[in-house]
Amino acid sequence: MVPRAELAVALCFGLVAIARPAGADLPPEEVGRVMRLPETVGEHWIWVPDRLFRHSVLFDGDTGRMLGAIDVGAQISPKIPLWSRGRSEIYNVDTVYSRGHRGERKDYLVIYDSRTLDAKGDIEIPPRSMDTGTGIALVGMLDGDRFVLVLNHSPGTSVSVVDVEQRQLASEIQTQGCAGVFPAGPDRFGMLCGDGTVMTVHLTDDGRLDHLTRSERFFDPVVDPVTEKGVRDGTTWWFVSFEGMLHEIDFSGDTPAPKPAWSSFTESERRDGWRVGGAQHVAYHPGTNRLYSVVHEGGPGSHKDPGREIWVYDLPAKKKIDVFEAPNLMAAFLGPQAGFDASGVTGKVLNFLLPNLGVHSIAVTGDDAPLLFYRHADLGAVGVLDALSGEHLRDIDEAGLSGTLLVVP
Amino acid sequence: MSRLDRWFEGLARQSARKVSRRSWLSRFGGVLVGGATLPLLPVARAAEKHAVGEDGVQGPQGDPTRCEYWRHCAIDGFLCSCCGGSHTTCPPGTEMSPVTWIGTCRNPTDGKDYIISYNDCCGRTFCGRCMCNRNEGERPLYHWYRNNDLNWCSGAKAQTYSCSTAIVVKVAKEAQPEK
Repeated sequence: MVPRAELAVALCFGLVAIARPAGADLPPEEVGRVMRLPETVGEHWIWVPDRLFRHSVLFDGDTGRMLGAIDVGAQISPKIPLWSRGRSEIYNVDTVYSRGHRGERKDYLVIYDSRTLDAKGDIEIPPRSMDTGTGIALVGMLDGDRFVLVLNHSPGTSVSVVDVEQRQLASEIQTQGCAGVFPAGPDRFGMLCGDGTVMTVHLTDDGRLDHLTRSERFFDPVVDPVTEKGVRDGTTWWFVSFEGMLHEIDFSGDTPAPKPAWSSFTESERRDGWRVGGAQHVAYHPGTNRLYSVVHEGGPGSHKDPGREIWVYDLPAKKKIDVFEAPNLMAAFLGPQAGFDASGVTGKVLNFLLPNLGVHSIAVTGDDAPLLFYRHADLGAVGVLDALSGEHLRDIDEAGLSGTLLVVP
Repeated sequence: MSRLDRWFEGLARQSARKVSRRSWLSRFGGVLVGGATLPLLPVARAAEKHAVGEDGVQGPQGDPTRCEYWRHCAIDGFLCSCCGGSHTTCPPGTEMSPVTWIGTCRNPTDGKDYIISYNDCCGRTFCGRCMCNRNEGERPLYHWYRNNDLNWCSGAKAQTYSCSTAIVVKVAKEAQPEK
């Protein structure tokens, strides 16, 4: 997709080029111009947060072109950038120290103008936002774009509710024993709990705790725990367990309601050693009700291992409908470092010779012609597949050095 | 060291659990960057360290600078043994977090299971050496004390994460609750 403004600019340059006589000097150009993002958020845009560069980069999945970036704080992993289309703002939770990596800690919800990516303000929040290696399920924005949730760890647990409309902290809610924030409406969010239950946190209109409700125990946190890498469709969240059991939770009622779990693996696949694993290892496309799951062959304790296949499920049918191979990202990562064209013969040879390290994380866009993005945590390249056919469309190279998140705005 | 060298180091470490580092690097490393790079890799550097083992354990399982070290069964981070500290001490200038996650690892020599405390060392940014991620008995975020994804420096005065230790707490009464 090419924005109209860009087309117009390209056309103007083309006319100038035609009108300029051969041999004439190039016209002087203006100094100090800064690009803006298009007014409309692209359906195929993707954030690629990076732990080492400490920023989150926005790419256009259709072209592989970098559109811009926002910086993040001194934490291990960037938090997920939260995009409010209604307010044309992006919110990012950062931890900073008064003297670089030491000194007094302060945490902020930083507010960016989503058209210019200028930081236009911030809200100081309790200096205990949780920091993990993957950065998954630590922040979220409730429907309506008024309240942002920030999971805390100090090492006790709580959730900060930030009112981005009023530009202030609304409340801090104690949630001992539960973790992850899973938005499920304008006034509620879910959390997974260490006793094998799930909790709904209901908020008042001004973002304070209204009441908490708990489900029945529906999983064993020791024998077969569900991961916090859930996917959402409205008031429903799906979570997958280490053993590949799919748990559907309905948050529409007062009390969260788990539905009967079903296995994403047949007995035969289980015998062959197939397991789910990775970092952000599931993705969901609401329009087709397809769930994408990164799988590998491994044993107990391999739940963070990358997989070389992405299995596609029709959730209503509870059935696997496709298997996508994730092409090797090695050449795409090495090419810019070593100075060869990753799409040329050298790249093809290297992708054949070098091991395919697999995929830690995936994300799918929400439109009718969806793209499926994938990355390995330590390869600075992102692969792009047609999410319906599995066809490999392109690789985005120089996409950082390390990270597990892929975020569709 | 060039960015490419650093990347190869990280790649080799990261792959340690699934493939022997020697296997593909020895086959393909020369094709890519020539033999000159190989001596820089951890394979070569660590190759001579296996004769003397910690805890009476021989080979890589007795080497605290290796991901294969037996105590590292549930670690996720940079090994302090490669960062100026050791498997039980933090590097100079850092502080050990008093709260942490634990794993249960089996000592291959005496056959006993031990509870291992992976206290983080805090107050400097990433050590950046000997990254190791193993997840035997590791549990999700809500199962705090068995989760290795958390920055446990949240319990320390200085909360930037540098590296992780692997300290024996005591003999465990039971093995990992894995299926």
